[in-house]
Amino acid sequence: MNADPQTNDRSLTGALTRNGHWWRSALTSGPGLAWLTAFLLIPLLAIVTISFLTRGEYGEIERPFTFDNYQRLLGFGLLGFDPLYPTILVRSLILGLTTAGLCLFAALPLAFFIARLPGGWKTAALILVVVPFWTNLLIRTYAWQILFSSESWLCRTAQALGWLSPGTALYPGFLAVLVGMVCDFLPFMVLPLYASVEKIDWTLAEAAVDLGANPWQVFRHALLPQIIPGLSAGWVLVFLPATGQFVIPDLLGGAKTTMLGNLIQQQFGPSRDWPFGAAISFVALLLVVGGLWLRARNAPEKDGGLM
Amino acid sequence: MRSPSPRLSVIAVLLYAFIYAPILVVIVYSFNASRFGAGWGGFTTRWYEVLLENAPALSAAKSTLLLGIFSTLLSTTLGTALAFGLARFRFPGKAWANRLLYVPVFIPDIVMAVALLLFYSLARQWFGLFELGLTTMILAHVTFQIPFVTIVVRARLAGLDPALEEAARDLGANEIQTFWHVTFPLIAPGVIAAAMLAFTLSLDDFVVSFFTSGPGATTLPILIYSSVKRGITPDINALSTLIIIVSFVATLATTLLQRSQKYKNLKSER
Amino acid sequence: MRSLIILATVLLPLCTALAEPKALNLYIWSEYIDPQVVTRFEKEFDAKVTVDVYEDAESMLAKIQSGGVSLYDVVVPPDHLVPAMIKLKLLAPLIHERLTNFKNLDPAFLSPPYDPGNTYTVPYQWGTVGIFARTNASHPLSFSWGFIFDPKLRPESFVLIDSVRDLLGAALKYRGHSLNSTDPAQLKEARQLILEAKPKSLSFEGSVAGKNRVLARAARAAMVYSGEGARGMKEDKETVYFIPEEGSQIWVDNLAITAKAPHRELAERFINFILDAKVGAQISNFNQFSTPNQAALPYIRPEDLKNPAIYPPEAVRKKLEFLSDLGAKTRLYDEIWTQVKSR
Repeated sequence: MNADPQTNDRSLTGALTRNGHWWRSALTSGPGLAWLTAFLLIPLLAIVTISFLTRGEYGEIERPFTFDNYQRLLGFGLLGFDPLYPTILVRSLILGLTTAGLCLFAALPLAFFIARLPGGWKTAALILVVVPFWTNLLIRTYAWQILFSSESWLCRTAQALGWLSPGTALYPGFLAVLVGMVCDFLPFMVLPLYASVEKIDWTLAEAAVDLGANPWQVFRHALLPQIIPGLSAGWVLVFLPATGQFVIPDLLGGAKTTMLGNLIQQQFGPSRDWPFGAAISFVALLLVVGGLWLRARNAPEKDGGLM
Repeated sequence: MRSPSPRLSVIAVLLYAFIYAPILVVIVYSFNASRFGAGWGGFTTRWYEVLLENAPALSAAKSTLLLGIFSTLLSTTLGTALAFGLARFRFPGKAWANRLLYVPVFIPDIVMAVALLLFYSLARQWFGLFELGLTTMILAHVTFQIPFVTIVVRARLAGLDPALEEAARDLGANEIQTFWHVTFPLIAPGVIAAAMLAFTLSLDDFVVSFFTSGPGATTLPILIYSSVKRGITPDINALSTLIIIVSFVATLATTLLQRSQKYKNLKSER
Repeated sequence: MRSLIILATVLLPLCTALAEPKALNLYIWSEYIDPQVVTRFEKEFDAKVTVDVYEDAESMLAKIQSGGVSLYDVVVPPDHLVPAMIKLKLLAPLIHERLTNFKNLDPAFLSPPYDPGNTYTVPYQWGTVGIFARTNASHPLSFSWGFIFDPKLRPESFVLIDSVRDLLGAALKYRGHSLNSTDPAQLKEARQLILEAKPKSLSFEGSVAGKNRVLARAARAAMVYSGEGARGMKEDKETVYFIPEEGSQIWVDNLAITAKAPHRELAERFINFILDAKVGAQISNFNQFSTPNQAALPYIRPEDLKNPAIYPPEAVRKKLEFLSDLGAKTRLYDEIWTQVKSR
């Protein structure tokens, strides 16, 4: 009878007829769902559709129906075969994975640190992690331009220590992009991770210590399994948006490092090749849906496990 | 539970420094007299004076606020109703509705932005609707705000004790009365939290606004982006410092407010 | 909550309705028009001018194509994009009776091949593409495109221009080809040059940003337009703008009205206002580009008229070439551009 665990059948709504449910949901959920259909689902379907059309001589969208855009995406362009676009896809995935990995690496100690603080400090420490998130992403990103330019104290120190040749800068470059990404996405990893760390049953760890386990073994066998839910939620929250990021590579990479997001922007901007841009967007969309599907299969039914 | 070890504390402090470094840099450099580059040219408050006369910055601040307020009002209303429906009623295709809800959360901004750009331009060609401008930006922002609002409010609804609503019905309240007098006051904190989240998302958004904006609808993020692209930042540093201060104060105020609210609730429960 | 919906539905249209009765939306390159000129126009015509800016011509076209055509009134396309914009029906024919100041223009700039009879456009400014560089550095200057493309000549840090035709054109010129080449072999050669230069370069930037990078000492040299070069030289005495000896691009930016301009009449008044001798001079004195307005020349600062960066001497002008619209072949450039930016 209770096929849907989210509907509270003990309450009075349980007494409703099928029709009663139907028109009540139409009144409440209807407008919101209609909105998402009109401004999300239909636009995404439009993207999929034009990805099979052709760019006109001056950037119009024209028939005929074609697979050319996908062929081009695979590397078969006007000037011969060139595996450029697959490379960009792989590069974006690597950037997303590296960002998520580094965020995880940084978030773990932070989450444990916060979880071990006494009550009031805990809230304060958590707020401190979230506060930068309330300021604008663009501000936090371009600040790294200043920090990484050749005349900044950071680069001067590195130059004086001989880590960096004189007069050179860390910006623009891949390192700058990576640092900017980690800095921006870190809170998205810390929060879900903290939520899991907070719930850890420490008696397991103590038992492991009593049994003579070393710190790594304690972490690996007694703690890690307990924080897997937070870890995977954080991973999805960082990896998926990081892979499609467009602003950070643009501002910190000097417009030299093209990622999936920049490629899409370029097609809908200066190159005015909407069908090709749509094809790339579709691939990015498949990536996200695939990622979510994989996660849903491995960590079933926790309502996305957000935050 | 033990308190954090010294080693863990040092690592944590370093990580906090890493998160806050960019913000501090912007604040410090907003007082830098040097117009170009990262060299220090002495202390000045000149850029704040320049900013006050910067008409585009002021109008961008206005657009940003208008956009944030209207989109938040709309998305909070729609999202709350949507959450209520999802939590209380059954309808065919509900599983798909749940899935649709998560698409804007994870989809790259740029894909959503170009999809809306395409949709608007098709709608304009066929029906003459959707001239790019503040209205199209509001519609776009509402679209990515609704899911976040719904997820937050639904979580609050799930934690509700059904006995309260049942009691109201037993006392003769109809469904609508029950919602307004019992359910809504109970989920109000969740709705407010959701609205705040939606508002922040709107203020923070650059990519979707960038693609759906029109003349005179430049928002602060768009303004900052184009200035940074041109490589001139002194008055943008000043602008950013002001934005940082405002968001810090707002965060602090709401946190304190929630605290005192909780405290009051505790007291009244006793 | 219900009252919120009512509030939103009432206030939304109200906001748009409250907009100024007379308005003009201008879409123009950044740092290209003196804000004082805009203010003066606003006062004289009791109108509110909204100025939005772009950093590269193709992005402007993209925005106009994706909806800007019915939002902006006046746009400033460069010569080589005008034919495309006409074919795409993005521009409206000018009503010449309203342009009483049209006679001020230098006949040499009238009825250009990209718009015979000035049906759609009037020239706004003209200029060149060249290199803006710091002079006092240890590495010697060489007045050639080799300063960017030759590994032996180029400095430790330089900026490439973030614009497809300008950058590819420079590479083609360096190899002695035409700016308008559509020969795949020549284009591949140019692509190779840029791909070799890219990893050594600091970044891709628009002209204004390139100038600012050199002034900030972040880069030794940048590819910029002449006005940015001349403005930069004024800002910092240790810099120079030069047109490489292999020759370069000369261009004309034009004022045009969009096909569905919301404020059609004011748009022509604005263009006519810009064509005024004194206003024209004020604009060129501000942005340091060259004016096609003959009547404005007496009001141009004398030192600017003598500045070879702004008004190149005849010998240099002979080596300059205009870009032309390449029609379907533009796709070759787009494909190369995507490859260049992405690698």
